[in-house]
Amino acid sequence: MEFFRDTHIDFMKYRRFWIAVSLLVVAAGIFSIFVHGRLNVGIDFAGGTQITLKFAEEVEVNRLRSILADAGVEDAQIQRFGEAGEHEVLIKTPTAEGTEEGSRDPVVEAIDGAFNEGGGTALDLNRDGVEDVADALLAADPDGVAGGGDPETARAHYEGVADALIEVRREEGLIASWEDLASVPGVSRAAFEVLRAQAALGDFTVLGVENVGPQMGRELRQKGILAVVLSLVGMLLYIWLRFELRFGIGALMATVHDVIIGLFLFALVGFEFNLTTIAAFLTLVGYSVNDTVVIFDRVRENMRKTPQKPLVEVMNESLNQTLSRTVLTSGTTLLAVGALLVLGGDVLRGFAFVLTIGIVVGTYSSIYIASPFALVWEQFFASAARGRRKGGRDASRRASGRSEAAARRSRRAS
Amino acid sequence: MNRNLLYRGLLILVVVAIAAISAWPLQDKINLGLDLRGGMHLVLEVQVADAVKSEIDNAMDRIVQDAREEGIATIEARREGEQIVVTGVPPERDDVIGRIRTDFLGQTWDWDRIGERIVFELTAAGRAEIRDGAVRQALQTIDNRVNAYGVAEPVITQLGSSERIVVQLPGVDDPERIRELIKNTAFLEFRLSDYPRAGGGAATREEVLANYGGQVPDDIEILEGDVTDPEGRRIGTQYYAVTRRSVVTGRDLKNARPSLGQFNEPVVNFTFSPQGAERFGEVTGANIGRGLAIVLDDRVVSAPTIEDRISDSGIIRGNFTQREVEDLSLVLRSGALPAGIVYLEERTVGPSLGRDSIEQGLRAGLIGFALVVLVMLVVYKLTGINAVVALALNVVIVFGALAYFGATLTLPGIAGIILTVGMAVDANVLVFERIREELHAGRTVKSAIDAGFAKALSSIIDANVTTLIAALFLFQFGTGPIRGFAVTLSIGIFASVFTAVFVSRWLFDLQLARRQRVEHLSI
Repeated sequence: MEFFRDTHIDFMKYRRFWIAVSLLVVAAGIFSIFVHGRLNVGIDFAGGTQITLKFAEEVEVNRLRSILADAGVEDAQIQRFGEAGEHEVLIKTPTAEGTEEGSRDPVVEAIDGAFNEGGGTALDLNRDGVEDVADALLAADPDGVAGGGDPETARAHYEGVADALIEVRREEGLIASWEDLASVPGVSRAAFEVLRAQAALGDFTVLGVENVGPQMGRELRQKGILAVVLSLVGMLLYIWLRFELRFGIGALMATVHDVIIGLFLFALVGFEFNLTTIAAFLTLVGYSVNDTVVIFDRVRENMRKTPQKPLVEVMNESLNQTLSRTVLTSGTTLLAVGALLVLGGDVLRGFAFVLTIGIVVGTYSSIYIASPFALVWEQFFASAARGRRKGGRDASRRASGRSEAAARRSRRAS
Repeated sequence: MNRNLLYRGLLILVVVAIAAISAWPLQDKINLGLDLRGGMHLVLEVQVADAVKSEIDNAMDRIVQDAREEGIATIEARREGEQIVVTGVPPERDDVIGRIRTDFLGQTWDWDRIGERIVFELTAAGRAEIRDGAVRQALQTIDNRVNAYGVAEPVITQLGSSERIVVQLPGVDDPERIRELIKNTAFLEFRLSDYPRAGGGAATREEVLANYGGQVPDDIEILEGDVTDPEGRRIGTQYYAVTRRSVVTGRDLKNARPSLGQFNEPVVNFTFSPQGAERFGEVTGANIGRGLAIVLDDRVVSAPTIEDRISDSGIIRGNFTQREVEDLSLVLRSGALPAGIVYLEERTVGPSLGRDSIEQGLRAGLIGFALVVLVMLVVYKLTGINAVVALALNVVIVFGALAYFGATLTLPGIAGIILTVGMAVDANVLVFERIREELHAGRTVKSAIDAGFAKALSSIIDANVTTLIAALFLFQFGTGPIRGFAVTLSIGIFASVFTAVFVSRWLFDLQLARRQRVEHLSI
């Protein structure tokens, strides 16, 4: 199936219009992100603590909020996490400058106090590790292996039993009821009964904790900005080296355009900006340039083939010739990234979103921004400067570029 | 079949076979990152300022004590920032001070007399030495503790030459406990009680102060300790006046292990090194009836009365739980941290979260792969099969390379592979589109294929170099998971160039070789 056989679309005709549209969107984006500060900066860069909890039963967000408020944990953001029915909650708190270790302990203690009677002094199979469970079993010795024999063997036996039990938690996240433990292979009835009598199944468990101190956040922020800026410079240098400066500028403009619009939409949707997002943006930079370079490659080839043709026409021709590839590659990449966006889960959603935007906007900008900008750059700056320096070397191309503009003007006049 | 075709085929077979063998079975061969298998990632900072401060205090003690032994009774010293200011030394005794400095302080300290005062200053080299020593010792101590606790495959490294240490612990069930274990300074000291002199604590600070008339002497300090109920819960604070100097410290211990006391309560049983035993025996022998405070990280654990001369072993009792005595024994065995540590960053992922991520990533990857395959077949018909084969080999090679180089697969890394699947066909698309163009221009199938590959090559290289540049910056910037992404993306780029240029070309040549004249190409 061929979508774009032998097309002759005049992409360059409305180049000023599209550049203007893009500039407007970019300006709105810059205003929204930098002036309005709309970006939802995550703990990776702002510093803070993020705790993922799983509860045995559905829990009211408001109840958690008041528990944390009572415990003096301020400005906590609480939201549901994961699939419905999993009873998972994400608690995010900011961290004050100078306190690096965050609010993990106060948050967990407050919730422990509210949900588990007695504040968790007993052995809790949803919180404690294999070691503790093995200790308890060894002390009670339900399987009768401690008497007489080697203590190490007895310990190893109960560590095996404890590990089999904790594996249930590793699988499910939380052991919801004793029934779940009743028929674990390798666990005797007696061992089960001992734990049932001595241990508790806490009403919640801590699935994950991320804490980034303000110091680390500041460093990651600087490094992130530096990485994006340096990669842009790297791209400019590569294209400058492989092509010419004007193409480098065109590609750079298209890429900066994609990054800013990507940021803008990302901020509008309100996804959290974190380390993975930086990775997504760096990939977007790579993808955006990749798309543009293939077009420039064809422009260069056609310039050599037909040196007499005005650059505008060469560009139009090249854009048409590569159109099928541009659309197809964007399409397949979009399918893969789309699958990630829909099925990849919460952690990768923001990442997939940036790439989705990047592919769509990047494809647009490769066509409507990169080449036109290279041309505009040529017309406004480079051509005049080069004319002064080098005399008539590039005269024919430049002249034809001008004559095309002149012809259009006269067409309009008539 | 011609020879050239055969050799190329064999090369492809070898590459794919190596990749497949390296990566199969996947769950055993691919190194999963902490975000997928579950585990802890900690970045901690050694508080070097603590170590410097304690070095200053030690040096100050040393100077005063030695000078007094040399008969300079009037010597006084105090700390001013990072300087030690010494007064009360007559100028004609400066040689003594000079000797103390050379013999005991070495190149760590410079000194100078300014009028009545002698000022000791830490040298730059001395400071660096303290810092490096502290970080090295912290690294060693943490390593000991983690190993003693029994975590499989821990990674504990200094971050560059900084004061930071990265600790990565896969598959930890009880992150709280291990976090405490690592952070525990565990600086154990035995000091003689001064008030209450026979051991035990006082209920209020005022009571202790009153005993000294409101001002404790220089060589005594007041420390606090917890009062606990029989269940081990903290119910109040007690105050102890103890000597500033310690009799022995945790450094003099040879071993410590959990044990049971006379009422079957958990206690820590310890033994001293020979030098420690000698000194401990001497002091306890001379102070029978007096209290001996066991001080852990500047808090009094307990202050029992010395009932007899104790030399080589003893127990620490203090209303501990079983877990507390286990952890305390462990940290005492592994040595004290030279300075406090602060956790700058923590990322703990439970195993169930990681398993969910793998499942979701796998599902997204399979669906993405299927969609891309479908599009290639619809758009390029039979030639599409060529791209699909290249794509499949690409995925095999990516996993093979991950396993072969021992790289770590992270959640963003999975995203990188999925992205690679989408982008890998790009090189195929570039070639196929070019072949189509050449066919439209009226070339024969064979020459169109030749021209298609030749002309597309420059674009393929440019397009992939730019993505590679982005991946390099990512690698440079990134920590754990992000690096995993940069790695899979880079591997994917190399693999896709190999499959799209080399493998796909071979597949075309194979089709051409099987037929004498090819009139039509299904593209």
